[in-house]
Amino acid sequence: MKILTLVRQVPDAEARVKISGGQVDLEGATLVMDGMDEYGVEEALRLREGGAAVEEIVALATGPKRVEDALRTALAMGVDRAIHVETDQALDPIALSRVVAQVAQAEGVSLILVGGQEADWDSQALGAATAERLGWPQLTWTNELALEGDTLTGRHDVDDGNESFRVPLPAVVTTQQGLNEPRYPTLPNIMKAKKKELRKDTLDAYGAAPTVRVVGSDIQTRARLNKMIDGKDPQAAAAELLDLLRNEAKVIA
Amino acid sequence: MNFTLPEDLREMQAAVRGFMLEVVEARAREIEDTNRVPPELLRGAAELGLFGLSIPEEYGGVGLGALGRCAVYEALGQGHMGFGGVISAHASIGTSGLVRLGTEEQKRRFLPRMASGECIAGFAITEPSSGSDAANIRTRAERRGDVYVLNGTKHYISNAPVAGLLTVIAVTDPARGTRGMSAFLVEPGRTPGVTIGKIDEKMGQKGSLSAEVIFEDAEVPAANLLGPEHLGYREALGILTNGRVGIAARATGAMQRLLDLSVAHAKTREQFGQPIAEFQAVQFMLAEMEVAIQTSRLLWQKVAWMVDEGQDVRRMASVAKLYATEMLSQVADKAVQVAGGMGYMKDSPVERYYRDQRLLRIYEGTSEIQKLIIARDLLA
Ligand SMILES: Cc1cc2nc3c(=O)[nH]c(=O)nc-3n(C[C@H](O)[C@H](O)[C@H](O)COP(=O)(O)OP(=O)(O)OC[C@H]3O[C@@H](n4cnc5c(N)ncnc54)[C@H](O)[C@@H]3O)c2cc1C
Repeated sequence: MKILTLVRQVPDAEARVKISGGQVDLEGATLVMDGMDEYGVEEALRLREGGAAVEEIVALATGPKRVEDALRTALAMGVDRAIHVETDQALDPIALSRVVAQVAQAEGVSLILVGGQEADWDSQALGAATAERLGWPQLTWTNELALEGDTLTGRHDVDDGNESFRVPLPAVVTTQQGLNEPRYPTLPNIMKAKKKELRKDTLDAYGAAPTVRVVGSDIQTRARLNKMIDGKDPQAAAAELLDLLRNEAKVIA
Repeated sequence: MNFTLPEDLREMQAAVRGFMLEVVEARAREIEDTNRVPPELLRGAAELGLFGLSIPEEYGGVGLGALGRCAVYEALGQGHMGFGGVISAHASIGTSGLVRLGTEEQKRRFLPRMASGECIAGFAITEPSSGSDAANIRTRAERRGDVYVLNGTKHYISNAPVAGLLTVIAVTDPARGTRGMSAFLVEPGRTPGVTIGKIDEKMGQKGSLSAEVIFEDAEVPAANLLGPEHLGYREALGILTNGRVGIAARATGAMQRLLDLSVAHAKTREQFGQPIAEFQAVQFMLAEMEVAIQTSRLLWQKVAWMVDEGQDVRRMASVAKLYATEMLSQVADKAVQVAGGMGYMKDSPVERYYRDQRLLRIYEGTSEIQKLIIARDLLA
């Protein structure tokens, strides 16, 4: 069986983003593989290392040329080859799911791993949308995964707790923090990754036009009131604080 | 012209930086207090490939050129400098002689174990009576049948207390003067007559251990002669020339870390009702640090590129080493100033860098010796 793992490139958690022309401007920001996707790549590698009959692990990314860097990271971690659907168009998760589903079918994969939530736009829709298009079961927020033959078992978080599951492949799995501890690519593996296949593809073949149009962006600024309470008299200070929380901030009744 | 590092090198820098800042830094205080690098960290470094940086792929190394090695050294410089010192003494001066001059048999014998971190390496030229004046070393190596008998004392030898292999420079023919020197591959633990002295108590770079190496009728197999007999001073010091660019790159990384710490501190520390970053006096220190970093980085990148192009870098390696290490001292001083009292406290990495960085202006040729090399080359 083959595994497809989706890789997105996002600003580093500490990167400072700018807005220019009403759009997020990533110029100069450090870009990395989305942490949620790292869990996916790592899990694919672990399934294989754990003895599951994984023939090939393929990483897929869409986006501008720079996204290659994130794919190289996946290759350096141990993925066998990569596909880059190169486009300067930003794809929302629903449009992206069109690409993922079609690549999955063309490549004949039976397990798709995607991040549970995007680090940049916070969307959780990609896994669901991909599963819907393919008519495959989806397991969201997975914390544990094992593969025996064609049966996937594991645990995942649901609204009212943590559930064990067992599903026959094919399936879509979304990751979350705690699924595993992603490895650092080692220097020799980064060298080896240079020789692995990174195939380029264009977006036109997929008919995946974005359905969401960004009309404007703003950086959220946090305004502080800087109100100081004199603490000389603790009783009075506590009373004043309670009064402020109750009547001004209205956070307690 | 293109000033962007190739993607794979940037990826390596990210991996090494991540390891240094997350894994090594977490144990920094322990390294400071015990003067030992925990074995898990050395294993981590070995898995990452750091011990094989400059070893060709066919011997199990990463097989990086000068640009790649220096890119990694810059990332290494962003973390604990004592830890970085262990790696650089091994991967730079400890390895480069063997890679450059070794026979196939010698390479097969040592390089794979060096790449895996099993055999840590070092380089020994300095003696108590000849430091800067390295042409005047006294350690003798006399051929007797199929061994060389070594007598003499080396000191301040990095990694000696943990080394499986030392590249040792000794005099094989005093009559030939500086042309009468040779290099030897010496396995300290396995060579009777080689003693490692007590570990030096240093100002900084804790965890990177140095010591005396004493040779008393030590018999080194003739098969361990590295390169031709009477290799000469210039060739022997060629091992150091390449090391010098690496030092410039490490210094650049150290400056970058100090600037990052200073910027973060300046933005959050408030005095007189505002972040100290609002004061122009503080801004100027940050700006000066940035200039030092940018110029040092350009220099090491240029020299590394020259090495990869096969150009003679004797002068330029000294230019880069001199400049970057002198700048680093200034940057470390400013970083302490920006941090205020906190920069003087053991809990601050700034305090540690302030001590650790000082060595870079001394070893692998003092700043004065770099100036001599540059001037002699200009006047030749
Ligand atoms: C922690 C540490 C680790 C080391 N690791 C190694 C190692 O792994 N292998 C190794 O072989 N060596 C190593 N060294 C030795 C190091 O390279 C020497 O200390 C260095 O070359 C300076 O020699 P010295 O200490 O004898 O100082 P000296 O040569 O005595 O210098 C003292 C001062 O005189 C100046 N001076 C000397 N000659 C001149 C001149 N002609 N013109 C102008 N000024 C001059 C120097 O610049 C310096 O300021 C290490 C040293 C230290 C401290």
